[in-house]
Amino acid sequence: MKAVPSFVEQVLAFPRLRPALKSGGAAEEAAPRPGGASGLAATIRAAADGDQDAFGRLYADHVRLVHAILLGRVPRADVDDLAQDVFLTAYSRLDALRDPSAFGSWIGAIARNRATDFLRQRRPQVELPDELPGGDAIAAESLAVLDAIRRLPEAYRDTLLLRLVEGMSGNEIAERTGLTSASVRVNLHRGMKLLREKLELP
Amino acid sequence: MSDYLWDPNAEPDPEIERLERLLRPLAARTHTAPVLPARPMRWMTARFLAPALGVAAAVLLMVGVTWQSASRSFGWAVESISGDPRVGSTSVGSGGHLGVGQMLVTDSSSRARIDVSSIGQVTIDVNSRVRLIESRDGRHRLALDRGTLRAMIVAPPGEFVVDTPSARATDLGCAYTLHVDDDGLGLLSVQSGWVAFEFKGRESFVPAGASCRTVPRDGPGTPRYDDVDQPFQDSLDEVDYGGDPKQTEPSLEYVLQHARPRDAMTLWHLVSRVDAARRGAVVDALAARVPMPNGVTRDEAMRLDRASLDAWWNALGLDDASWWRVWKRAYPQ
Repeated sequence: MKAVPSFVEQVLAFPRLRPALKSGGAAEEAAPRPGGASGLAATIRAAADGDQDAFGRLYADHVRLVHAILLGRVPRADVDDLAQDVFLTAYSRLDALRDPSAFGSWIGAIARNRATDFLRQRRPQVELPDELPGGDAIAAESLAVLDAIRRLPEAYRDTLLLRLVEGMSGNEIAERTGLTSASVRVNLHRGMKLLREKLELP
Repeated sequence: MSDYLWDPNAEPDPEIERLERLLRPLAARTHTAPVLPARPMRWMTARFLAPALGVAAAVLLMVGVTWQSASRSFGWAVESISGDPRVGSTSVGSGGHLGVGQMLVTDSSSRARIDVSSIGQVTIDVNSRVRLIESRDGRHRLALDRGTLRAMIVAPPGEFVVDTPSARATDLGCAYTLHVDDDGLGLLSVQSGWVAFEFKGRESFVPAGASCRTVPRDGPGTPRYDDVDQPFQDSLDEVDYGGDPKQTEPSLEYVLQHARPRDAMTLWHLVSRVDAARRGAVVDALAARVPMPNGVTRDEAMRLDRASLDAWWNALGLDDASWWRVWKRAYPQ
């Protein structure tokens, strides 16, 4: 009698679906939605009424923004959970959002506040390195670069993480954050200059 | 400024490209939105409901709030099995509570056990995140955002529900394991009793000894017994999620030819999932394993007549479908 694979093995043995999932995956759907601002307003209204699909679209379009903001502030292991928290908090307050076009900057502010609350509430504890045995393997050099970015001023930090970690273009960063293109350009330029200095790159 | 720093489609700057390669593994990995909790109360609703709520509160005070209801509002009891599971930022330790709206998180070394009101227990495995969405008499709902939970529930059908990013698992009195990965892919495996797996009207009834996958946007696949061979499993996955019916035709052929009599459960689900052009072959394959009951015609099965399919389901000898329908009418989702 054949051995029945473990539960997680069965899920992991389902790779055929993953390319399709990824290609249509939420986090990669960064292009603006058809309908522009009015489309976004309709999506927000539907999400506020409990429409899971509409909420999923908001999530898909903004998860990288929230992720980058959190990654710049809290331990890596807590980022995913806090990102979910941020979206659920946003959902519970959608009625209070007056200007739908400001959704990106609004949820960005929720993410920053959530990170601050998290760091404030954390009990005093021994600081552990960001990479622990048993976690997913992230190169030490990657973590060193992340650490250097985390020590940059806030505006440069967020913008650089959106560009270098989440792979967003300058235009996309401007669209998601609500910053002007000129501000994003300045943040990228100055942030990169400071990062080079910190990493002692030529 | 390098054009590439502004536009990732411009000619690459080697230095920035190297930083991207280093940092890209840190990018957002979670592809599915969390399951929404019950709809928050809108201010208009709140305004009109406020007087009614006030009266209700007064009545409650008059009849007295029992100790039992007071303790229930405090949430479900949670205890650590290993490691350091947390509810919010609070360590569970040897005893804690999970309230409505709260999140229980386990890391790579922690597990936790939840007492589900008075109807059973749920074990939360490592690397999992669950939220308590609702808990009141006759209605208890968790959301499993990721990870694995094992439920052992002794309650009337439908009292305990678990939402995942791609399907809702409704307990029909049973023990089961539910896993959701970071992409929202899910796998339900039933050890005893029954679980109904549902997404946007697409239903799967999963009996003991069977499993069912679920995929974001598509919902639950076709349930199959765990002892079917691998080619059967693969063919069924192809039929469920392979897309173009023409390309999945050989896979469907394989399933229809190799289904054992007990796999009638699988074939019954396929009847309503394949397109009309292929339905006849599935209906015939099912009839070859379990004859149509009296009063059910092939035409009705081809038309997906609900009563006929329910009658055929009952003929499989697994359980009666009627109470599930009755329950669904009583508790619309």
